Amino acid sequence: MLDRRLLFVSGKGGVGKSAVTAALATVAARRGRRVLVMGLVDHIGLASHFGVDHLSYRAQEIRPGLFALAVDRSSALDEYLRLQVPTPKAAPTGPITAALAAVVDTVPGVREIVSIGKPIYELWQDEWDLVIVDAVPLGQLISYLRAPITIRDLVPSGRVREQAARMRAALLDPSTSGLVLVVTPEELPVAETVQALDQLADEPVIDVAGITVNRVLPPLDSIDIAALPPGPHADAAMLHTQLVAEQASWLASLPRDVELPYLFGLHTPPEVAARLADEWEDQWTGEAP
Amino acid sequence: MTRAIIVTGAGGVGKTTISAGLAVAAASRKMRALVLTVDPARRLAGALGLEDLGNEPTEVTALPGLDAAMLDAAASWEAIIDRHAPADAAARLHDNPFFRAIADRFPATQSYAAGEQMSAYIESRFWDIVIIDTPPAGGGIEFYSAPRRMRDLVGGKLLRWLTGAGLPGRRTLYRITARPVLRFTDTILGGQLLEQVAEFLLDLRTIYDGLSARAHTVEGHLAEAETVVVTTTDPTPIREAHRFFTDESVPTPTRLVFNRTLPSDWAHRHPVPDGPDEETRRILRDNLERWGTEVRRQADARSEFAGQFGARIVTVPWLAEAPTDLTALGTMIESAEGWDLDGLLQGPEPGRQPAIDP
Repeated sequence: MLDRRLLFVSGKGGVGKSAVTAALATVAARRGRRVLVMGLVDHIGLASHFGVDHLSYRAQEIRPGLFALAVDRSSALDEYLRLQVPTPKAAPTGPITAALAAVVDTVPGVREIVSIGKPIYELWQDEWDLVIVDAVPLGQLISYLRAPITIRDLVPSGRVREQAARMRAALLDPSTSGLVLVVTPEELPVAETVQALDQLADEPVIDVAGITVNRVLPPLDSIDIAALPPGPHADAAMLHTQLVAEQASWLASLPRDVELPYLFGLHTPPEVAARLADEWEDQWTGEAP
Repeated sequence: MTRAIIVTGAGGVGKTTISAGLAVAAASRKMRALVLTVDPARRLAGALGLEDLGNEPTEVTALPGLDAAMLDAAASWEAIIDRHAPADAAARLHDNPFFRAIADRFPATQSYAAGEQMSAYIESRFWDIVIIDTPPAGGGIEFYSAPRRMRDLVGGKLLRWLTGAGLPGRRTLYRITARPVLRFTDTILGGQLLEQVAEFLLDLRTIYDGLSARAHTVEGHLAEAETVVVTTTDPTPIREAHRFFTDESVPTPTRLVFNRTLPSDWAHRHPVPDGPDEETRRILRDNLERWGTEVRRQADARSEFAGQFGARIVTVPWLAEAPTDLTALGTMIESAEGWDLDGLLQGPEPGRQPAIDP
């Protein structure tokens, strides 16, 4: 997984996508990779897991070798235009940008191509060993990653179309790009993940690099709960055992690469990211990630 | 008069189950109740008899007075167009690639369609109470902003910029393609693209007056409804719940429901029962201890909301398995603590305390 250059991390809302993104970035940085992490939507969640208040469009160094930024749409659009359009210095960029922002809001695929463009440019910059994207939630992911195809279907010609073709090739190359799906062992997250895997099999837009299960409860060692005297100990053991069984039933239908544990009690977001990173490394020890 | 209760919050917190449970509780009080649900988990759909239903309300045969309907997201944009556009424009829109792509992707669509559906059911006056489980897109708050966002899309910035404030003929539109800014965008986006977009937007513009008036009515119903926010103590739902109490564009929730609440006495020290061997006793002690840390985390979150926002807190116990039949759904709601369930379902009676002290 870490040999790729561009990883998108996605999952149903609430599964801990930002925490897992931060953990994965931490693992990669610990292994000496120069890593850039970017938040596509929920910057606050990602920032909190790095222990900072907010992220901006300029990459900031979180710790040696680990950088993070937030993709906001207007900055991404500005940069996109600067890179795409040889604008004469005297051109009235203000009104043009405002007009284009309106186009971006309306024309399908353009908004997506602008925000997906940022990670791909960073990949092409060759400044990073690995770019990790805390991407949109699973429900919107396919339409984001499909943006180059949408553009091809809708835009008859022009620079945007040419650029889209290059982006599509970069996303489709499994030695370059990959998708990390985050899921929790619950009915709807698993169902959405299975559905996304089916969609990706029907119309490949990116290679699935791995499936990470978050918040897995450790099984209680074999205890005969029925034989226990009633009380809070028996109740807690009962709830725990039932939840473990429930989780196992949802996981049965899902291929998976890494299982990260449910973290009990109070942890700050950076503690959560660090604990998950430790766990991830333990599971990868002895394997070639 | 039909009461409306909007059950909202982040995805995955049990909104759908709690909506269904509230509807069961209402029907058990001899009210005629409708629950409008989005994407229910399979077992819950089974309990409601919704496995293969569309968006028409259908009687739940096991409980007289209870009806259930599902929001059909795919059909919703088409329905909006058919309701508000002239036939020729509607036909062009259905075939337009931009329309298809926008219908698939514009996140407010599903929320707006749910709001229109809710309004139609309220206005029919057929039910005493309508309970709406909000679509997951964009967090629950989007349900409230969707009417405005739809209006903005349809009467949008781009259209006004392309065509001026009025509704011009097509010829006017083409003439303005001579504008330098437009020529400039054409070199980036490719020839004719903007023209195609503008044609699409002109057709879409035909629904503006109808949609705008309707959106206004929907907003009225949203403002009158009771808002119930469901959360767990996971970070994402808590953040979403916070927005409901701090964002001034949404009505203040009358109930904040903490789902998956653990028994509070698990936080205290209890002697490990005699009987099991030493190893088993150690496992039991460790297990209760780690769940005890969760109990304290939950208590902290509740007192923060109660203190900071004066919210009326409801606690629903953590069930290992989501309820799968109507009886269990009803029991889950009735046994939860902190509702004033009669007040929520039947409305405040004269002399009854309001849910939240002003």
